[in-house]
Amino acid sequence: MAVSGVHQRTACSACHGDRGQRLADPAAASNGAAGCVACHAGHNGIFLQGMTTRSAEKNFVAQTFSRVDPDFFAKNCSSCHVSSCTDCHGGNGHKLARPALESCHRCHKGYFIGADFFGRAPREDSLRYQRGDLIEGEAYLKMTPDVHFEAGMSCGDCHSMTSLAAGRKTAKSCRDCHTPDLKILEHRIGAHLEKLECYACHSAWGAQEYGTFYLRLEESASKENFRLRGNSGSEYLKSAYLKRQNAPPLGLNNAGRVSPIRPQFITFYTHTSKDQLVGEENQLLAAQWKAFFPHTIRRGTVLCRECHESPQRFLLEKPEARIYLPDVDGLALPSFWNRQGQQLGNGRFFPAERFESMSRHPAYLKGAVEKWNNLIKRVEVSSGD
Amino acid sequence: MIYFTAEVRHPVRIGRSPEFMEKIQVTPAQTTHFTGDYPKCLSAKAGRVALALLVIFLLLTGCDNASYRSPDATCIGCHQGLEPASKSHSGCVSCHGGDGTLQDKDASHRKMYGPKNPSDPRHWEKTCGACHQHQLERIRASLMYTNTGMIKNIQQTWEGEDGVLYASRPEKTFDDTGKPLQLRGVTELDNLSGELYRKFCALCHVGLASYDVWSGSHGAGCSACHFPTNENATYQGGDPTVKGKWPHSASHQMATLPDNTVCVRCHNRSGRIAFSYQGLNDGNNAMVPTLDGQPGPRIASGARNLTSIPPDIHFSKGMDCIDCHTSRDIMGDGHTYENLYLQVEIACEDCHGSVSERPRLEAILRENEDALRESRSYAEPTHPGMQMVLTSKGRKYSNVFWDEAQEKIFVRGKRSGKLHESKVITGTPEHTIVGHQRMECYACHSRTVVQCYGCHTRYDQGKMGMDYIKGYQTPGAFSESEDYRTLYPFPLALNQRGRISTVTPGCQTFVTVTDPAGEKISDGYVSRFKGKNQLRFAPFFSHNTGPKAIGCGECHGNPAFLGFGQHVTTAADIEATLLCERSGIRPLDGFMVMEQGKVRSFSAITRDESRPLNAAEIRKVWQANLCLGCHADPKDPIYQKELDYGQLESCLRRPGAASAPRPGAGG
Repeated sequence: MAVSGVHQRTACSACHGDRGQRLADPAAASNGAAGCVACHAGHNGIFLQGMTTRSAEKNFVAQTFSRVDPDFFAKNCSSCHVSSCTDCHGGNGHKLARPALESCHRCHKGYFIGADFFGRAPREDSLRYQRGDLIEGEAYLKMTPDVHFEAGMSCGDCHSMTSLAAGRKTAKSCRDCHTPDLKILEHRIGAHLEKLECYACHSAWGAQEYGTFYLRLEESASKENFRLRGNSGSEYLKSAYLKRQNAPPLGLNNAGRVSPIRPQFITFYTHTSKDQLVGEENQLLAAQWKAFFPHTIRRGTVLCRECHESPQRFLLEKPEARIYLPDVDGLALPSFWNRQGQQLGNGRFFPAERFESMSRHPAYLKGAVEKWNNLIKRVEVSSGD
Repeated sequence: MIYFTAEVRHPVRIGRSPEFMEKIQVTPAQTTHFTGDYPKCLSAKAGRVALALLVIFLLLTGCDNASYRSPDATCIGCHQGLEPASKSHSGCVSCHGGDGTLQDKDASHRKMYGPKNPSDPRHWEKTCGACHQHQLERIRASLMYTNTGMIKNIQQTWEGEDGVLYASRPEKTFDDTGKPLQLRGVTELDNLSGELYRKFCALCHVGLASYDVWSGSHGAGCSACHFPTNENATYQGGDPTVKGKWPHSASHQMATLPDNTVCVRCHNRSGRIAFSYQGLNDGNNAMVPTLDGQPGPRIASGARNLTSIPPDIHFSKGMDCIDCHTSRDIMGDGHTYENLYLQVEIACEDCHGSVSERPRLEAILRENEDALRESRSYAEPTHPGMQMVLTSKGRKYSNVFWDEAQEKIFVRGKRSGKLHESKVITGTPEHTIVGHQRMECYACHSRTVVQCYGCHTRYDQGKMGMDYIKGYQTPGAFSESEDYRTLYPFPLALNQRGRISTVTPGCQTFVTVTDPAGEKISDGYVSRFKGKNQLRFAPFFSHNTGPKAIGCGECHGNPAFLGFGQHVTTAADIEATLLCERSGIRPLDGFMVMEQGKVRSFSAITRDESRPLNAAEIRKVWQANLCLGCHADPKDPIYQKELDYGQLESCLRRPGAASAPRPGAGG
């Protein structure tokens, strides 16, 4: 057996143990990666955090889909979890290496944070939109990538092994490396620096899925009629009422700071058996939002009015301003962009009165005029125009 | 007028006895000629009047003749319960041909026109056209039948024009100046444009029956609109011998005034205005929410589902497509036009007035006017003397008039008879904003605009595809996939009238051609247009008018409305965030970028004189946003003259400036 990489000169027994306690798979979560932690002490902490335990996902499913299908998690969510050090450090244990970007992308794909870092947003589920290159089985729209990706950085540069093993999401936050430039108008506004996450403005876009439908079509011929991706094998089909990839709505995260939020998830469930409906159709199981960090950082930001004068970005859409009318089609939510009937799991929705005051504040208007004027002045008008 | 009332119905109802025909020596077509609504009848020469009087006389004296045997006898014998086409179309063989005196079914049916659809263009000269020659001549020259505009536009965006005008079938017509015009059959167009039209687009023209398309089926010829189908083209009427059978119209009752479902049969793809009008969104084809465990909530042809959006305000008020669109819009006016916008004769301003001119009026003075003739089948007919509103081409609407007593414009629902007041906007301050002179009404009043981005077309020479015009399969099959659809925001650009109009991709075609061996001959090719390989946007009215205009800040403060797509900005850059897969910087959902203050556009706007706004125009549009923060009301007097941005500094220094409560922002 040839071993390559940094472990080239490591004795077999260093990982696999001696005869007394031989380890067939020294990196497995099941034995706490006993063969690895002898040297890499503490790294077995990775098996106690979310990527291994999937506790957040399990909790969500327990409160939602398990009510209608006790085996939902096993059927739909089992593919992505860490079960061994080799999941990320090289599929072959004899060729261990630092995780490549693609290693993270293997699970952090589709709607989950990670794909966005490369400039990829999930396409619609209809086969008509499933086009272009498939990456880990997912089709993506091309978006602007994160500046850190453009600069050649990889996930591990912020998400160090130590931090992950310690159960922290990241080793570094924005301000560990960056200091806001106070020459920038927006940075001079005190409330912005005090109350906003940097990525509330600098996330150029965020994948958003409005109305995640799980269709459980047991022995139902109707399944062929849906023409959705993944239309084979499992009894489940997944679809979405609408996907967006623009600047996501904003709310307050657990730290009380303004942060991007997105549905994770607003779920609906339809169950048929032999083409007969079982239970309530299009049943709303959750209208849950999550404060999140889209990995879509750009130098540029949206313009002032996109937050200050956009009630729908704070889930304050008025009934007459709606474009989509899900309630007319029988769904239990009249608007995805109105907080009524919805929850934010890791924070709270932005207080309506704060929105009212911030968008009418005289200082805001003056700042917005200055900002806008600066932009207009830069528009080059040639003599031919 | 007398020829058009009770008397003329007799020849139709009973004037079919062969003996009778022989006696008076007129052909059935000539007889029924008098029943038609062909205006030539109205100006009939004296001889014809005399003939008509003779017919009436003979009828009155001879109609109870005991030897009379109905030419439809055996038809009626079998087709019990079949509804009469209309009061004036109650016979069988007069339209269908065949022999209604023979007992044997096959013998009796043998010489029928169609046999199911006598209005098919193969027969329409002998059938419908024999009486309705005026209508036949119009429809033969009109775009719905020729598809000349569609074919020309496909050519423009694929191989380019070749100086020849094509039609779905070869036709001799007249151009818009009245000169004779020969339209070549599209079967002669032997390139990808011709192939695309014949294999992809041809089903939606009234010359061709299309019975296999769920919710999109229609007969050929006149029946396409006047004998509507149901969702699956099966007969649902009272004749048990045809009940449930395919392919048939839903009923044998003629739709003199087609309802909206008729328009939906074709106007449901691409711009799909018939959906938007009704508040239906053909969005992402996600097939949810489900309906009874099946794809839902409503299904359209081609594995599409429809969800709900706010309908057009005119639809909400109960107006039908035909309440705005005149018969000349739809059936043509006898001339062949080369584009839809040239055939359509109506505009918002006709009924609502323009900025400076109120709706134009003209009284009905003669009793043979089109407006009167057409309104005979309306729920409430129009009367001589009424002051009718004029279309943009200066012809009278048959259902829009000035009410002298109330001093208001009203639209009469042709089918419903319901009156709808049309508010006139002429001279109102929100419409006389300086700088808005070049706006199309729907630039501000559209609630949504359907936009489909990235149309990836494959043409596989190794597969057979149905050529609907030739009627058989030929080598070469098309398939499509797509990138992205959205409704809002929507881009604006200059249209063919030099006005600021909503635009939509038209089209962003990437063509991949594979040879019979599967080798790619072209891969995602972007065709040449106006001398450049570039994508195209087309001026477009989405037919989703909102109850209110979109907010001023939308166009003046959101660069997406000028074609930048979704974006972020830095000091002097507007950077697209949703990108064309062929480019690192160009928006998929737009046609503009700004880099270091330099504005560049890289898509064409189709149609002559059309173009994206230039940098000077863009800056001017955006400048107005400097005032909108405080002066949010479009009626604000400052907008009645050129804005003086020199005032801005002092404006902002004024005590209390920028603290006035503003109306809620749009969106």
